[in-house]
Amino acid sequence: RRSIHNDNKTRGVRGRFLKMIGTQAAIGSDILDIGSRRAERHSDGVGARAPPMLRFGEPGAFDVPNVPDPAQFCRSNFASASGNKDEGQAVKFAKGTTTLAFKFNGGIIVSVDSRSTMGAYISSGTVKKVIEINPFLLGTMAGGAADCSFWERNLGVQCRMYELRNRKRITVAAASKLLANTMNSYRGYGLSMGTMVAGWDETGPQLYYVDDDGTRLKGKYYSVGSGSTYAYGVLDTLYRPDLTVEEAIDLGKRAIYHATHRDAYSGGINNLYHVTKEGWVKIHSIDVNDMHYEFIEEKKNAMSS
Amino acid sequence: CVIASAGCKTDVDQLRSVLDIKHKVYEHNHRKTMEVTSTAQMLSNTLYYKRFFPYYAFNVLAGVDAEGKGAVYSYDAIGSFERTAVTASGSGQAYLIPLMDNVIDHKNRNDERRELGREEVVEIVKDAFVTAGERDIYTGDSVDIWIITAEGIEKTSFELKKD
Repeated sequence: RRSIHNDNKTRGVRGRFLKMIGTQAAIGSDILDIGSRRAERHSDGVGARAPPMLRFGEPGAFDVPNVPDPAQFCRSNFASASGNKDEGQAVKFAKGTTTLAFKFNGGIIVSVDSRSTMGAYISSGTVKKVIEINPFLLGTMAGGAADCSFWERNLGVQCRMYELRNRKRITVAAASKLLANTMNSYRGYGLSMGTMVAGWDETGPQLYYVDDDGTRLKGKYYSVGSGSTYAYGVLDTLYRPDLTVEEAIDLGKRAIYHATHRDAYSGGINNLYHVTKEGWVKIHSIDVNDMHYEFIEEKKNAMSS
Repeated sequence: CVIASAGCKTDVDQLRSVLDIKHKVYEHNHRKTMEVTSTAQMLSNTLYYKRFFPYYAFNVLAGVDAEGKGAVYSYDAIGSFERTAVTASGSGQAYLIPLMDNVIDHKNRNDERRELGREEVVEIVKDAFVTAGERDIYTGDSVDIWIITAEGIEKTSFELKKD
């Protein structure tokens, strides 16, 4: 059985695999022997048969299927990619769907929906897609629910370690870079994560988009997920950097509403956060269905006046 | 707390073994039993560490939290979890969840919500399984019900149609 170990000495995933093929002479012989090969590789003097010890900030060694091309196998059978990429798979994972965030003069607004789907089945209507990494950093969830929550929680650990070692809070640029590097090490394995890291550090409000293929982009506004195109329509039209806080909250709310209305995979409740110099604050949790009737009223009033 | 799992039995058994060991280690290290909230996170991490070779197990975790309130957590195969009021997993989940959402969690109803007593909820659960058994070919034979309260855990069983 092979395993991949994320040991931050970036030798590339392929390099590690070639090494492992060399050391595992007879694949059949260790099928029953689950622990010993891994223990050999991780003997840091912790004990001959000790399970792989968790090094802080890194996950433990991950098992991969014992096939010639594990990356391709995982991609085609266990991918939790958004859209229909897991249509033919036997195992479907929970997916997340419309999130957006934008920077303006008053800080950052992060607005998300709350629907999680497994194929065409809505597995939950109350998912928390904004992950509170620490009181000054927020991460959003789009793509694979487990992938996002695990790696953003892991990012929280790494940010805390940074704080302890350097006696200052981590910058948004550095935090997003840590996440992007992690994604890069598992590139090709079928992870699915489209997240935005938003926060306020010494350089002001910052917003980064980080992807499962290691993309990391700094920007003014982003929308991620299956409903992102609808949200972009609204954002592109109404966004201005000099919005007031009320206008910005309204924009965040409206963009998510339109996305949930048109995209089948988005819906539920709109959770909206505002990131300020003092940290993030949760503004509201409104059912998008209620918003629909609110906007209808508004249109009626606008038409009659 | 109690874990119920649907999916591949061998993976479910293996997962339980692993969780059992981790539980014991925690008790040795911390000198107290694991809380439901901690167990929930641990199960999520255990599932995610097999992200590239998943446990084919769809779990439901239930217990009583530190404040004495009931806690139910539902999982997908790789550890995404959420605390919910009601949940179900397996081949009959699409038949059970809407029913429970409406009757137990009072969703999408216009009448006034009322407190449901323990016996009443057990009857509702039994009815729900009978209903699922009628519409899902894979649900049947018998049902085990565990009732978890702050005082302890009680188990009852009842039979379903054998067809």
